[in-house]
Amino acid sequence: MEERIAAYLASRMAGAEDVRVSHLYRIPGGASRETWMFKATWREGGERRAHEFILRRDPPASLLESNREVEFAYYTAFADSKVPVPGMRWIEHDASHLDGTFFIMDRIAEIESNTRRIQESAWDEARPKIARHMYEILAEIHAFEWRGSGLEAVSEAPAPETCWKRELELWEAVIDANELSPQPIARAAIRWLRRNPPPPPARVTVVHGDYRVGNILYHREGRIRAVVDWEMAHLGDPIEDLAWGFMKDWEWARDGRKGGIIDEAEAVAVYERASGHPVDRDALRWWSVFSNVKAQGIWLTGTKSFQEGRTDELILPMVSYTLINAEDEALLESLGRAG
Amino acid sequence: MRPDAGRVLNGVAVALMTKVAPEVRTPFGQQLAGLSAVLLRVVATEFDRIADRLSVENGAVGAILSDAAAVLPDASLAVRAREAADAATAPDLRVSTLQAINDRLRAILVEVHAAIEETPGEEARAMEERIWEELRESTRRRHVEARI
Repeated sequence: MEERIAAYLASRMAGAEDVRVSHLYRIPGGASRETWMFKATWREGGERRAHEFILRRDPPASLLESNREVEFAYYTAFADSKVPVPGMRWIEHDASHLDGTFFIMDRIAEIESNTRRIQESAWDEARPKIARHMYEILAEIHAFEWRGSGLEAVSEAPAPETCWKRELELWEAVIDANELSPQPIARAAIRWLRRNPPPPPARVTVVHGDYRVGNILYHREGRIRAVVDWEMAHLGDPIEDLAWGFMKDWEWARDGRKGGIIDEAEAVAVYERASGHPVDRDALRWWSVFSNVKAQGIWLTGTKSFQEGRTDELILPMVSYTLINAEDEALLESLGRAG
Repeated sequence: MRPDAGRVLNGVAVALMTKVAPEVRTPFGQQLAGLSAVLLRVVATEFDRIADRLSVENGAVGAILSDAAAVLPDASLAVRAREAADAATAPDLRVSTLQAINDRLRAILVEVHAAIEETPGEEARAMEERIWEELRESTRRRHVEARI
């Protein structure tokens, strides 16, 4: 694969000669797209140069059928903004180069993304700073002026009063298409969501769609160096991002702290202060129940992909055996039906 | 067959963790070996309990559908609920047979639950609570300790 990547880079880097690729490793995680890191060296202008890259390749099937062009557009839109993102280099729609479509971005050095490492005592000093920074950045994502940006070409903006309906219909359709067995708890939750729509947001914003510990690249100095995994990004109700990050699924420390790093009340306070927008608690409740439904749609998609033999990624049956029932348990709780 | 499947799967899991993972050079490969081991342990648990879980659940959901038929205002749904309840007992104990019956029963349960929610009266409320109790119980039956 190193030689094929080198050949691709040579075709895309004008003036680069003798391109070589080394230190190619697949990074654990990245259940929806394969994530690889590598080092490239080349000769240019008489000098030998080197750079480290990340390659995100689409698998034949995964947890999520997402549009790489949309993800690339969101990364590109936030370049040089107050929202840190890796620099995007190339997007490739021709699957013949590397047996799958892909994009390549800059690798950010000296960062962590591991959901458990941030719980370790070595991170005690940095963790609260990272947690606060995470919700300050979320306020910046939601403050981004998407009107007039490249995002309008890839994302349709809903009216404030239809944000909830569009997302619910989208994820209900995902469950319709992917459930291999009936999902009575998710179906009851969907009926509840229809009967109890949230108040419309004061503003339609960029929604990252998967904003949580696990998709932030953090540094020991207590700062976040990049927000990644924009594959579910869209325009909608900003409260959706808060609710998603608050899900029990991501309570990595199992002590109620969201993402294993911050209490919900503190996260909301940081966000409200940074954004200048109060968080409507009724909307937060609605989007919390919705988040569990959306997550269930993702787990069911992965289950079907594996069951039908479209992928052999072992993370998918693990998700099926553990997270589908855990999501049902979380849904019972968020619906006030846990007993 | 002895050693039973659970013991074999757990043995493979231990081998993966203690013999294979330390020999793997990349973080991705090590993670894959660890994930495989945990997955085998989860499958071992499921292998042992799945027939019992499906059998018990099919009986419980069948009983609910049978009783709900008397509360449902929609006559055609009531008929389908009774028919599903009557077919809740499996002709054999193959997991595939039990699972197919479970899928049919829970599909009707979704419809019955939605209809009961819209049905006024104390009987409907009591039935609704009974359905929720079964849904809670269904998560207890499927609960696994392992998490990703």
